[in-house]
Amino acid sequence: MICAGIDGGSRALKVVLFDHAAGRGGGGRGVLASAVRDQVVDHNALAEKTYQELLAQANVARSDVKRVIATGYARNLIKAADATITEITCHAAGVRHLCPAAMTVIEIGGQDSKLLRLDTGVGNGGGVRDFAMNDRCAAGTGRFLEMVASRLDTTLNQLGKLAERSTSPAIISSTCVVFAETEIIGLLASGVAREDIVAGVQHAIATRVAAMAGGRLDEPIVFTGGVAMIPGMREALAKALGKTVAMSPQPQITGALGAAILAGR
Amino acid sequence: MKDTSHIPAQISLRQWEGRYRSLREAGLREASYGGPLQRHFAAGDYRLEQLRFDNSAAALRLWNFLLSETERLFAAKRAGKKIIATMKDLGTVPILAYALPETVAFYPDGTWWIPCVMRQSTRDLAIADAMGIDETFCPVRAMLGAFETNQHFPPPDLLVCSVGATCDDFSAIAQRLESRRHAIHWWEIPSRQGAREEEDVMFVTSELRRIAEKLAEVTGYELTNERLREAIAQANKVREKLNQLRQLVFTAPKAPLPALEMLIAEMLAIHYCSDRGETLAVLAELVDEVQVRIEMGEGCLPADAVRVFWVNPVADLRVMNLLEECGGRLCGSDFMFCHALDAIPTDVLPMEALARMALADPMVGPAGERARRIVRDAKLFGAQAVIVSRIPGASHCATEGTVIREVVSREAGLSVLEIEVPPVSDGVRAGLRTRLEALMETVRRKRA
Repeated sequence: MICAGIDGGSRALKVVLFDHAAGRGGGGRGVLASAVRDQVVDHNALAEKTYQELLAQANVARSDVKRVIATGYARNLIKAADATITEITCHAAGVRHLCPAAMTVIEIGGQDSKLLRLDTGVGNGGGVRDFAMNDRCAAGTGRFLEMVASRLDTTLNQLGKLAERSTSPAIISSTCVVFAETEIIGLLASGVAREDIVAGVQHAIATRVAAMAGGRLDEPIVFTGGVAMIPGMREALAKALGKTVAMSPQPQITGALGAAILAGR
Repeated sequence: MKDTSHIPAQISLRQWEGRYRSLREAGLREASYGGPLQRHFAAGDYRLEQLRFDNSAAALRLWNFLLSETERLFAAKRAGKKIIATMKDLGTVPILAYALPETVAFYPDGTWWIPCVMRQSTRDLAIADAMGIDETFCPVRAMLGAFETNQHFPPPDLLVCSVGATCDDFSAIAQRLESRRHAIHWWEIPSRQGAREEEDVMFVTSELRRIAEKLAEVTGYELTNERLREAIAQANKVREKLNQLRQLVFTAPKAPLPALEMLIAEMLAIHYCSDRGETLAVLAELVDEVQVRIEMGEGCLPADAVRVFWVNPVADLRVMNLLEECGGRLCGSDFMFCHALDAIPTDVLPMEALARMALADPMVGPAGERARRIVRDAKLFGAQAVIVSRIPGASHCATEGTVIREVVSREAGLSVLEIEVPPVSDGVRAGLRTRLEALMETVRRKRA
C-alpha cells in the first residue's frame, strides 16, 4: 500500500511517498520518494505541483496512492489530502519509524519549536504521551536563525561553520527576535566576532528548548525539523540539556514521513 | 419538513434570529431583559458574530442576562440602590453586600471580557495604556478604562478590593485606579498556611467585619447575623444549583450544554451578574433544559468527544468554541473560584463561615493544593486531558501551570496542555487549533 504525506510547513513544503509493505520494521525503509521545496504564498498550488512531480519521479500513478494526509501549519489548505493530522502526531510517528527507540523528540521548525514525549510501545505508533510547544516568541525557532544569517551576511548553512570557530560565545539576553536583532547590531558595533554571535544565538535557542523541557527528558532524545540540519545546533542542544542528543536521519521530512505512515493506519 | 427545533445544537448569531422567531411563535416567555441576541451585537458586542451558541431558550436567557448587566446596574443606580464594586474578590464580599436591602454588588474585574466581547471597539485598553498599564499587565486592566468612561457601569457608591495574597498585576491596577481619585476600601487576605489556620480565620473575620461596617455606613443598613445568614443561605442555593448543573453536564454521556455556556454560567457564582435572584432562575432553567436533554439521550456534541478538564477562564470566549471544533468537550473546570462552588458552612457564626470560605480560595494557597483539587475533580468527572489556559500578563503564580502539569501527570496520568489566550485570539488561532487538535489526537490514540 502506497500513501503520501504532505507537510505544509511555514518555511518549507515537504512531501513523502511511502510504501507500507516495504516500510515494515522501520529504520527509514519504505520511502519511495521525497521532496522539499521553499514555501510560497499559494500553499496548495505548490503542494499539488510537488506531489505530481514526486509521483512521476517514483513512477507511481495517483490512483495507486491509497491515502494522503496533510500536516503542518498549512495542512487545511492542501486539497490533495484526504485528511489532516497535526505535525505533533506526525513528527512522533516519523521519528519512531526512523529511530524506533526514541523517547523524546525535539523539533525546531521555521516558526515554532516542540518537545514531544513518546510512549514506550514501539508497536503503538510512536504515540505522543505529552507535548509542549514554544508559543511565546520566535526566538526559539528557525526564523531567529534566518534573521541572524541575514544580519551577519551569511547563509543558514554557513552558520554552523562560523559557530565552530567561536572561542567566546556572545550572550544574547533578549527573548524577542526583534529585540535580539537590535542586540546583535549592538554586538557587531562593539566588535564582537560573527562566530561568537552565532554561537551565542545557538546557545540561546538551545536554552529556550531546555527550559520548555523543564528538566524531564527520557532518553534517547532525537532532534528533528529543518533547524536540526544547521551545523552546531545539535551540539548546542546537547550542552544545554546535559544529555546526548541524536540527529534524526532525515530531519526535514520527518513530519511528512509520519503523515504518510499514519495515512496507512 | 421534520421538526428538529428540540435537538440541541450550536448555532451562529445569524441563526439565532430565526431561532428566536420560532421560539416566540412557540410561546417563549422571557424575563424583563429578554429579546433577540442580535440586539447586543447592534449595541457593540461585535464578538458575538464569531461565536457559536447553544440553541436553547435557557441559553438565550443566560446570554441576555449576562449581556444586560450594564443596563441593570444603571437602572439600579437610577432607582436609588447602592452600587458596591467588589474587586479582586471571588465570591465573598458580594454575599455581604447582598445581605443588605437596596444594595447591588458587581464585579468590575469582569470588564476584562469587554475587549473581547466588543472586539476592542471601546477605548478601555487605550485608556489603561495611557495610564502606563500596558499589555504586559493582565487584561483586567480594561477596568481602568471602564471606570473613566462610566459606559459599562455607573460610578459605584463603594469600591472594595482585596490585597495581600492576590495577583500582583491586579494590585498594581487597583492602586492606579485609586490614584485616579477612586477611593478604595482595602481588605487583606493573607496567604493560606495550614499551620496557622485559626489565626488566619480570625484575621479575615476581622477584615470582613471592617467591610461590614463600611457597608453599613454607605447603605445605612446594619449587617446583622440574621441578614448575613439569609444571604449565605441564598448563596448556597446558587452554589447547589450550579453544582447540580456541573454534575449533570460533566457526567452525561453526550455533552448536554456547550463549554461556552458552562463558562458563563459558572461565572455567575461569584458575583450574580448584579442580580442574585435572577441568577438562581437562570441556573434553574439551564438545569431543567439539561435534564430534558439527558433524558432524551441528546447532546450538542458527538458522544466520542474527548473529555477535557479546563483550568482558568479564557480572555477570548471564542476559544471555548474552538475546544469543541477540535473534538473536545468540557468535563470539569477550575475557573479560579472552585471554592465559590462549595457550600458555605452554616454551623458556625456567619462571618467566620465567610472567612473560612475566603481562605479556601485556590488563588491564596499553594499551587500544589489547587493542582490536587484539579486531580480530584478530573477523576470525578472522568476527564481524559487537562488544559491550563494562561492569561497573558496575569502573575498570581508564574509557575502554576508547571506545578499543575506535574501533579496532574503524576497523580492522574492525564495529558496536560498549556496554552496562552489573549483577549482577541484571532492572530494565534491557527497555533491554538494545532495544540488543541494535537491534544485530542493524543487522547484518542491512548483511548484506542
